[in-house]
Amino acid sequence: MSAGAVLPVGVLPGSTRRVQSRNSGLGALQGLALALVLSMLPLLQAQAADVLRLFNWNNYISQDTLDRFEGVCHCRVLQDYYSDNEEMLAKLAAGATGYDIIVPTGNAVETLIRQEALRPLDRKQLPHFGNLNPDFLKAFFDPGNRYSVPYAYTITLLGYNQTRLDALGLPHDTWALLFEPRYLEKLKGRVTVLDSPRELMAAALRYLGYSANDRDETHWARARDLIIRAKPYWASFSNSSYIKELTLGNIWLAHGYSNDMFVAAQDAQKAGRAFKVGFSTPKEGAVLALDSMVLHKSGPRPDLALRFIDFMLDGHNSAELTNLIGSGNPNAAAMQYITPDIANNRAIFPDSDGVRRLEMLRDLDRLQRRVLNRMWVEIKLR
Amino acid sequence: MRDFQTSGGLLRALHPATLTRWLVSGPPTAFMLLFFLAPSLIMVLASFRFPGAFGGLAPLIGAGRAGEDTGLTLENYQFFFSDWLYAEIFVKSLVVALVSTLTCLVMAYPLALLIARSPKRHRDLMVLLVILPFASNFLIRVYALMILLGPQQALASAVNGLLALFGVAPVNLLFSTFAVIVGMVYVHLPFMVLPLYTNLEKHDPSLLDAAQDLGANGWQRFWRVTFPLSLPGIFSGSALVFIPVLGMFAIPDLLGGTRDILIGNLIKDQFLGTRDWPFGSMLSIMLTLVVLGLAGFAARLGRRDRNEET
Repeated sequence: MSAGAVLPVGVLPGSTRRVQSRNSGLGALQGLALALVLSMLPLLQAQAADVLRLFNWNNYISQDTLDRFEGVCHCRVLQDYYSDNEEMLAKLAAGATGYDIIVPTGNAVETLIRQEALRPLDRKQLPHFGNLNPDFLKAFFDPGNRYSVPYAYTITLLGYNQTRLDALGLPHDTWALLFEPRYLEKLKGRVTVLDSPRELMAAALRYLGYSANDRDETHWARARDLIIRAKPYWASFSNSSYIKELTLGNIWLAHGYSNDMFVAAQDAQKAGRAFKVGFSTPKEGAVLALDSMVLHKSGPRPDLALRFIDFMLDGHNSAELTNLIGSGNPNAAAMQYITPDIANNRAIFPDSDGVRRLEMLRDLDRLQRRVLNRMWVEIKLR
Repeated sequence: MRDFQTSGGLLRALHPATLTRWLVSGPPTAFMLLFFLAPSLIMVLASFRFPGAFGGLAPLIGAGRAGEDTGLTLENYQFFFSDWLYAEIFVKSLVVALVSTLTCLVMAYPLALLIARSPKRHRDLMVLLVILPFASNFLIRVYALMILLGPQQALASAVNGLLALFGVAPVNLLFSTFAVIVGMVYVHLPFMVLPLYTNLEKHDPSLLDAAQDLGANGWQRFWRVTFPLSLPGIFSGSALVFIPVLGMFAIPDLLGGTRDILIGNLIKDQFLGTRDWPFGSMLSIMLTLVVLGLAGFAARLGRRDRNEET
């Protein structure tokens, strides 16, 4: 008996999944969807023994991909969502169990590995592993890819109102836009930056010619002073509302994530605005966040989980996510299925020279975290 | 409680009336002990501990992971008192809370007075209108404020048009301390109106008649009769506004500009961003102490007023 055939109700949680976006501030829909999924849980388990539980970012897999996987494996995929690595780690730390697959960012993978919370991968079960672009293998958090399989990535970069920037005669591809008063004077009150100490300091450090992972406190202090000098020109610190503000034309320059900028550019186009939203990676270098699939030890179905990972390594399946949300794709076999607009966008798919200027953020130790937090308070107060 | 101090304490404790009292007051007491006192004590303990390598807390006893200190420490407090930076945030938050509370008071008092002096059949409807905003989620209302205050909306255009007449450069309404205070006042206004209304509604109108008979004009009747009688309402309304404003982080996050960090944001950052629970616990305790100190101060002030009157 096929599980899919006897489960018309399964369509319901599937269709609510689609309304969510990764950075949606409206938790109500999400809560409703989660409640629906949870209320279906006993029902689904009663009728289908094969359930894969996925703990994922909001809107981080295409519904078509999910439907196809469910057809192939004769199982159901249930998702829970998080919008922040810290939130995901906090839920696990509070005792959440039963997730077969999680999709954390690099430094969170490192944390999970060091907590011994992950199951090593059986590479023999992953025949499509060779599809991955070697640039994204052997990352610092898991040098031998014993635990993690790259899934998708985003770059922290600059999104902008291209029409305004061109009219003002400003460049597009340098952090100087964010930090140099001679540029900022033309953008006063039209700039937002991420409300994240690590991300903003990384941008300032790269602009000053240091590594985003530089630990030297005198370099941090220089970055802090640079930020404090530029701050009077900024409108606000914003982690998600910049998407809306860019598409409305209220904000002309935003420091944020490539997939968010992709959404903003699409929305502005769909809404028929008189201006164009663009985004590009500053030439001084930027932060790369690589999300990977990992197996959590508490997951009851590592067999299904491995099938899922191999399924996602297929170029066609992997490309669907990129076409949906404009995320970067570490899968070389996916490139042929990706819309040319996206595949040719250097802010989503950097050339090999661009890749070399990208850095993944590493975790700080507790004293460094505290020093950085103190600088952050100084930045916010001045 | 007093029953236990008498010689027949145990027997009396089993008396049906005492038993009923315990049955009635027991569950809420247990609830408060479990969900208020216990977490507070955990927080006090956490403020003397080291953060764990992956967030959370380092073990109290035994060896920690690599790079973890274990046991108890005064480090968190030392870091707080090592300079004026953190005290500055406290002062700033107190100022914002004070301004918000006073604005609420000035706006809520006439409204509460109006409701209290309306015909009885209208009052229920008016009170309902005051609490109606609670029917929608507070975040949605704050997002609505973001739209209203946005730079391309009528309000911002009108204000900046007016400023331009006087040759003043245009200002941003959204993403400013002004927007934070508007948000705080908007969200907390009902908490000021309701206690004031409950108080004002109970005033005996014959007192005002008596004052009038004795020759007091309208202004004097308000300042010498209504206002002093409404002080308890003012105090409870102010506490209901001041304390939540002090801990609020969502409004400065959404409406604030680049300088609007308040103590609530700082505490939230410690738990969700920096993963520094001990420092966050220490900040929470400092905030609790400041609030308790202010409440004690206000209570003493109130008591002295009353003593002077008698």
